Amino acid sequence: MSSFLTSSFMHNIFGGLSQGVIYALVALSLVIIWQSTHILNFAQGAMAMFATYIGMTELDRGINYWWCVLISVVVGMILGGLTERVLIRPLYGKSEINPIVVMVGFLGVIEAVTTAIWTGTTRNVTEPFSQVYYLSNDKIILLSPFNIFQIVLAVTIMLLVAALFRFTKLGLQLRASALAPEVARLLGVRVNRMLTIGWMLSAGVGAIAAVIIASGNFGLFPTDMNGIFVAGFIAAAVGGLESPIGAIAGGLLIGLAEQFILAYWSPNVAPLGGIIILVIALMIRPQGIFTKKVGRRV
Amino acid sequence: MNRLKFVRSQETTSSRLLTVVLLTALALAITFVLPPVADSQLAGGAAITIVILGLSWLIGWSGQISLGNSGFMAVGAYAAGIWASHHTTTPLVFTFVLATVAGAISGLIVGLPSTRLRGPYLAGMTLAFAAAITPLAQNFTSVTGGSGGLFLSSLVTPSWFLHLFSGQNATINANAQWTADLAVLIAGLTFFIMANLFHSRTGRAMRLVRDNDVAAELMGISLSRTRTMAFVVAASFAGLGGALYTVINTTVNPQTFPVTLSITLLTLMVLGGIGTLSGAVIGGIIYAFSPNLITHINALTGVNPTSNLGSNMQGIIFGVLLILTMIFAPRGIAGLSPRLGRLVKLRK
Repeated sequence: MSSFLTSSFMHNIFGGLSQGVIYALVALSLVIIWQSTHILNFAQGAMAMFATYIGMTELDRGINYWWCVLISVVVGMILGGLTERVLIRPLYGKSEINPIVVMVGFLGVIEAVTTAIWTGTTRNVTEPFSQVYYLSNDKIILLSPFNIFQIVLAVTIMLLVAALFRFTKLGLQLRASALAPEVARLLGVRVNRMLTIGWMLSAGVGAIAAVIIASGNFGLFPTDMNGIFVAGFIAAAVGGLESPIGAIAGGLLIGLAEQFILAYWSPNVAPLGGIIILVIALMIRPQGIFTKKVGRRV
Repeated sequence: MNRLKFVRSQETTSSRLLTVVLLTALALAITFVLPPVADSQLAGGAAITIVILGLSWLIGWSGQISLGNSGFMAVGAYAAGIWASHHTTTPLVFTFVLATVAGAISGLIVGLPSTRLRGPYLAGMTLAFAAAITPLAQNFTSVTGGSGGLFLSSLVTPSWFLHLFSGQNATINANAQWTADLAVLIAGLTFFIMANLFHSRTGRAMRLVRDNDVAAELMGISLSRTRTMAFVVAASFAGLGGALYTVINTTVNPQTFPVTLSITLLTLMVLGGIGTLSGAVIGGIIYAFSPNLITHINALTGVNPTSNLGSNMQGIIFGVLLILTMIFAPRGIAGLSPRLGRLVKLRK
């Protein structure tokens, strides 16, 4: 058993899963926004990174790590709500290129502002859990307490979001305004408010992902989330952008695939791993693996 | 107005040629007046203009959103860099043709899946491509020189051109100006090609595909071929622009083409005017002289240019401009002055 856990195959599984849950979180946050407003938020990663910067600089003042996490998430949610109100609201009903361009512009602004405030150098965030891998008979199992923490936290967030959508009145309203805004409005749902809440929720989930990334090996720097965002987008697109389950499955798939390409093919081509998976997946099922095909009205 | 867009254009190739020749001549004349530093800036702007022309064609005319044009630029730049650093004696023209072809091939590879992807999917996929290029260039050290990059020998100014100058800094002035003139000439040539492409059968078919793909299909236009074509053309322009950029700077490395460059390109195109030829030129000029503008703004606001804020001013201003333009004036500068545009027959 222990030799199984320390095998290189399981190394890749563990590594892939710990990375995959983060992609899954980002993908989930993208899907929440996509479902409600049909906008792909290109600034999602940058917004989360910015919120994490604000939260994690509080560490310098000797504030407890967990409070800093909370601050990051709250700031992220406020930022998400504001973004929807100020930047996105004027663009509803416009051509699909407009929100894309605006969010790409916002991405540029956030990264430049972050670099201006905190400089481009990496900040180390004291991790709450040890990053030393577990050993079994003096052999490494590619899992550290921190990896366990990130997987548990991510899964908890996913379950919370799922529960919110499925079992609460707010979740019902959110789903109703995404599915049929007009009908929902007639039935007394404040659809505009629901859109804002959707964005806040999404930004909060994104901030959790950024907090995990920042607390990990690589620390916090302004372009921290770019690669993660791209992987998260690929995960969401593979899952079909419409389906939260698809996003999570996609995230895990991308995480594992990256790890296995690194291990069994060539680290040089690893950057292309995600894009290859995306192209193949979309060639087979352009509407995504987990969504039903929608007929197009002419 | 809307219907007219699909009708064959009234202006002839020769009238477009005249416009381009006049504009190029004007730009060449300006290079004689400008100081060497401004000449080098103008050269960079000309290279970026070529890239924006392609981007404008892709986004404005075929309606496909690409965030990957910095990647196409990188492909062209590395093709030029790899070739020119090994074969120093081949004529420059060959390097440029090679880079254009390399760009076109990368456009074909990225463009083929695009026939199945729309809107945000496409934007995300092209972004993933642009994001993958930098680490790829870093990883394949033996070919690309890794993070140090490649170095090219600088442009040789022909002796007849040197004779136009006399005085102490003759060579420096002459070199800067020769580079600028060369860049302007190439940009003028691509401008002419794109102007004709805009009004060609392919260009008109492309607009129909953008506005109503069902109607286009019924008229016998192949959607997938037209969409892929759009990518191939845009990528070959980006490849050429990237190569020119490399030749001007005599170096190429992975940091030259970050994903943020795609954002900058998008900003410049939107500022100039999506889908307009004049917009691409405006975008190129803004790119060329934005450092001066930023210095000016820093001086006005009293921000130390070497401080954190000062060195990130360009990113902040460009991003804010992109957002404001898209919300308040989505047709850009070229769209603000349609009469001016009609006067010089650049807009359609």
